[in-house]
Amino acid sequence: MTTTTPTRPEAQGIDGPDRQDDASTRGAWLVVMNREIVVRALNKTFLVGLLVSVGIIAALAAFMAWQGSKTDSFTVAVPAGDTVAAASVTAADAVPEEQGGGAELTVLEVPDDAAARAALTDGEADAWLHPEADSADGWVLTGEANPDSTLTRLLTAGVAQQTLEANAEAAGTTTAELTAGSTLSTDRLDGDAVDSQTLFFASFALALLFFIGALGSGQMIAGSVVEEKQSRLVEIMATAVPLRHLLAGKVLGSSVVALAQNVVFAAVGLAALSFTPTASILPSLSTSLVWFVLFFAVGFLGLAALYAVAGALASRTEDLQHTTTPMTMAIMGVYFLTFSASGTFETVLSYVPVANVVSMPVRVLSGDAAWWEPIVSLLILAAFAVVALLVSERAYRGALLQTGGRIGWKRALGAAG
Amino acid sequence: MNNDSLEVRGLTRTFGDLTAVDDVSFTAPAGQLTGFVGGNGAGKTTTMRMIMGVLAPTAGEVLFGGEPVTRAGRRTFGYMPEERGLYPKQPVLDQLVYLARLRGIAAPKARAEVLDMLDRLGLAGRSKEHVEKLSLGNQQRVQIVAALMGTPRLLVLDEPFSGLDPAAVDGMVDLLAEHTARGVPVLFSSHQLDLVERLCERLVILKTGRVMADGAPADLQETGALRHRLVVDGDAGWVRGVPGVHAVDVDGPVALLEIADDGALQRLLAAAVERGVLRELTPLKPTLAQIYREVTA
Repeated sequence: MTTTTPTRPEAQGIDGPDRQDDASTRGAWLVVMNREIVVRALNKTFLVGLLVSVGIIAALAAFMAWQGSKTDSFTVAVPAGDTVAAASVTAADAVPEEQGGGAELTVLEVPDDAAARAALTDGEADAWLHPEADSADGWVLTGEANPDSTLTRLLTAGVAQQTLEANAEAAGTTTAELTAGSTLSTDRLDGDAVDSQTLFFASFALALLFFIGALGSGQMIAGSVVEEKQSRLVEIMATAVPLRHLLAGKVLGSSVVALAQNVVFAAVGLAALSFTPTASILPSLSTSLVWFVLFFAVGFLGLAALYAVAGALASRTEDLQHTTTPMTMAIMGVYFLTFSASGTFETVLSYVPVANVVSMPVRVLSGDAAWWEPIVSLLILAAFAVVALLVSERAYRGALLQTGGRIGWKRALGAAG
Repeated sequence: MNNDSLEVRGLTRTFGDLTAVDDVSFTAPAGQLTGFVGGNGAGKTTTMRMIMGVLAPTAGEVLFGGEPVTRAGRRTFGYMPEERGLYPKQPVLDQLVYLARLRGIAAPKARAEVLDMLDRLGLAGRSKEHVEKLSLGNQQRVQIVAALMGTPRLLVLDEPFSGLDPAAVDGMVDLLAEHTARGVPVLFSSHQLDLVERLCERLVILKTGRVMADGAPADLQETGALRHRLVVDGDAGWVRGVPGVHAVDVDGPVALLEIADDGALQRLLAAAVERGVLRELTPLKPTLAQIYREVTA
């Protein structure tokens, strides 16, 4: 809809009723929003930050792909002719990846202890498996420093298996008879393929997306508000349009930019993931990301409004650090809590604004959330955003035209008529 | 042609215990330049901010054309705030068009008008430059354009001449004259008394939030303590003995006098004629600077 704006001041009627002034300023927030988007999108710092972030995401995905394709390999020195030691290493090598193995173990026979030590110092061998001086006491795994933990775990099992076999034979039975009926396998009802490691990575990525988007865009809004306040531009604008139009334009404009930025990040991340071994989780991750974008869009509206107030409470750019502290702390808190949360705590967080922006999509990804849970959580977040917008509108009006030092929330809310 | 005047009635603003503006009333008549004079902290800026609705008055009202000013009305006022600044990293033209659009002027019309005014202020070639690249004087001109665009019905300008060189002052005066010619009241504050004396048809002097004097400069000069210059043959020291005459300064045959009333004047004339030749007796009009010092003393 277009509003026909009288361009000749004479036509407006200086003493016209308030209805008329509403009509003449109706589209003002759109003008403000357009400027906010154009200025932000053309800002060099913003563009460079965007490119760097995209680069980091691509590099992370490449690292993950490399990690996934890489297998650990070890060379283990054993005393020449010690069949039990050699067999233990072979057994460890044979443990399949699903049972925590998948490493390549090679046997290196050494004639004596001195040769074994030399092999360790030269780096020819990663560890040296040899019987304790009194062989009844078991085995020793010597490394140049501490032996690798994966290797130790695999060899502990390997040695135990070999010893068990030898002891069983001595007792006139077999390992199979001794361990019959002791196998344990796992099964899951949901059939979801998202393992805990991927889930951790995904929650970390979502928390980071939220952190970068909310903090970066939030600071930009606060900065642009105080810029207008400090230069008294806002006084010129306040005589032209109602202040709430300024706030609405700013909040919407920066939300659009922040959201676009996150959509770019998410798209790049998904595209990069499709080249990695974790590509199988793409469908469930996409659903989760769609929820994340939705949650972010709603939650950021509230945060953006609060950041605009933080800008209005400051009198100079130098005050910003102080006035934005509560928001910065909240966002940092969300970041640290959400990517490490689990269990009941995570369930609670997935309903608390604005932590639910991260926690609920993570629970959707893990398959832990029922279909209605994200909807309820989103409604709670929307309620938070509405309250934040209403309170901010009042505080913004109250603080924006006050000059001289930092202003408190209480004074700002009290000053608005 | 518009013939609406700005009228301020009983405007008061307190900040805590401090009364920054105290019952200020004056009129800025249509088509006239009204100078707003006063020292630092006299309340000029606070008054202007209340006129523009940027600050809510504690008491009093602002009328334009006899009616209380509304928001729609203020949209048609041109305003130049005290501390200057625009978006430092945005091109001149872009931000002026943005401000014009906020005032409801369509983008193409705003563009044309802004370019025309930039041209007249000698900034035609710099419309694409970032504001921070301009000199302070040029930034000031950009601010002036921001206030004057959109054919305003009232101009409220806080220190519009500060920082301008004489040529720019003349350019600015010409621009303002165009607006007064179409009947617009112009209220501007200044510290430069000589400039105010030269330009203003009306003057409001403020001190600690109160109006100390208000009227046409000529009228104010009439009401100020009138002095006379007396030149006689020989030494004028005898004037000290004439009742009702106060000698401010006597230097040989020339004396600077304050004469209480007509009777005293007659006595002075008689005494001068009695003593010899009376060369000169001239009433001296006080300069604005003198009036200012007197009323704000």
